Amino acid sequence: MTRSMIDEQSELLVHAYLDGELDPANALALEARMANDPALAAECERVGAFRHLVRERLPREELPPGLRARIERSIGVRRAPPQFSWRALAASIALTAVVASGSTSMLLDRSPADTTRDAVVADHIRSLMAPQPFDIASSDKHTVKPWFNGKISESPRVVDLAQADFPLVGGRLDVVGQTVVPTLVYRHAKHLISLTATPASGRAASAPLVGKVGGYNTLSWTEDEVTYWAISDVAAGDLKKFAELFRTTPADQ
Amino acid sequence: MTVVSFSAGRRAIVKQERYDREDFSNQVPAQGGTERMADEDDGKRFTRIALPHLGDAYSLARWITGNRTDAEDVVQEACLRAFRSIRSMTSDNPRAWILTIVRNTAYTWLRKNRRLTLVEVESLEVAELAQAVPGDVTMETPESALIAKADAAQLEAAISVISAPLREALVLRDIHGLSYREIAEVTGVPIGTVMSRLARGRSQVIAKIGRRAS
Repeated sequence: MTRSMIDEQSELLVHAYLDGELDPANALALEARMANDPALAAECERVGAFRHLVRERLPREELPPGLRARIERSIGVRRAPPQFSWRALAASIALTAVVASGSTSMLLDRSPADTTRDAVVADHIRSLMAPQPFDIASSDKHTVKPWFNGKISESPRVVDLAQADFPLVGGRLDVVGQTVVPTLVYRHAKHLISLTATPASGRAASAPLVGKVGGYNTLSWTEDEVTYWAISDVAAGDLKKFAELFRTTPADQ
Repeated sequence: MTVVSFSAGRRAIVKQERYDREDFSNQVPAQGGTERMADEDDGKRFTRIALPHLGDAYSLARWITGNRTDAEDVVQEACLRAFRSIRSMTSDNPRAWILTIVRNTAYTWLRKNRRLTLVEVESLEVAELAQAVPGDVTMETPESALIAKADAAQLEAAISVISAPLREALVLRDIHGLSYREIAEVTGVPIGTVMSRLARGRSQVIAKIGRRAS
C-alpha cells in the first residue's frame, strides 16, 4: 500500500487529528472519511503507531549532573551551597582576622585580596562537592586551553606538570565577585589543586604568598598582570613545589 | 489545545485570538505564572521562570546539535541570554520563550562552530516548496507492526538524519509535546508550515525505520 493514494491535504489532517489539533467538526468529518477509506485509515494507524513508539522508546534525557549548578553559578543565583559557604565564610573570616593581625578591626576592613581569596577558596570547596570538580575533564592542555576560548576574554596559561606528579585533570569557570575567571584543576596523589587566575591589570609581579583558609592551604602570586591562586588540602610544602613548577615551566614546551 | 480548521488549500486558520509574535505585552499573562512579583530580583525571577524548563532546554539543544557536550554549551549560553532579557520577558508561555532562545542559540552556535553543516532554514523553505512532496508520497510506507519493531537507537538515528527544520518540528511535537501554535512561536514560522514539516518529518522517519525493520 502506498501513500500516493492519499492527497497531501488529507495527510496533514491525519497528523493534526492525532495531535488533537483539529476542531470537533473536522475531526468527525475525518473519522467518517477514514471509515470508508482504508488507505487513510492505514495512514492514521501508522502515524499513530509512530507517535506511540516515540513516546514509549525515546524518554526525555536526564539533565547532565552539575549543569543546573553551573548555570546557577554563571548567573550568580548560587555561589556555594548555603551551609558550606556559611561555615567556610565564618572560618575564613575568623582565620583571616587572626592570621592578619589578631585584631578584630580587620573584620570590618578586609582587603580586596582577602575577599578574592575567600571567593576562590569557596569555589574550590564547592567544586569538591559537585559531581565533578571541573566543567571540562581532560589531561591534555591542548584540550583544556581552547575550551576556555569564547567563554572568557583571555584563556589562562596551561602547563603540563604530569611528569612532576601534578597531572592536569581539567578546567572550570568560577565566579569571583562579578567576574568569570578560569580555574585549572591539577591532581597530586589523592588531592586536587585548584589554580584560579584573576585579572590583576597594572599590578606588579609578586612572589608567592602563603596562606591558610578554613583548612585549605592557599598560595598566591602575580605575574604578567594575572594573579594566580592555588588552593588545596595538600601539604603546604607540596603546594609550594606545585607553584614553583607552574611558574617555571614554559606553557609551550 | 490549538484548534485548527481548514479553509482553501493547505492554509490553516487558528480559531483562537490572533497573537503577535513581536509583542506579547497586550496579552494578559495566563495562569498567573509569569507576571512580575514585587521585590523579585532577576535571579529569583530567572529561577522561577526559566529553571523549571532546563530539562526541555537541554533536550532540544541535544537534538539540534546532535551531541551532549555541545548541548551543554548551548544551554549555558542560552541561559545567560535568557537571564539578560528576563526583565523584559512578558510572554505568557515561559517554556516556549526559553525554547525559542535555546533554538536560536543552538543555530547560531552551529553556524559559528561547525561551518554550517545545516542548510539555512530560510533558504530551505524555498527548496521544500520546490521539491513539493512527490518523493515522499510515492515512497513505500511500512505497516504499523513494522514500525513498532524499531528500538530506541534506530528511532534516534532515523530522526537525527532528517533535515533540521523537519527534525525540530518533530522533536518539539513528539518529544516535548508542544502544540502546533507553540511550535510556530518557537520556530518562527506559520502554523501551516509547522504542519507540513511535521507530517513530512514523521513520514521520512517512519519510512526509514520501516525500511530497516523489514
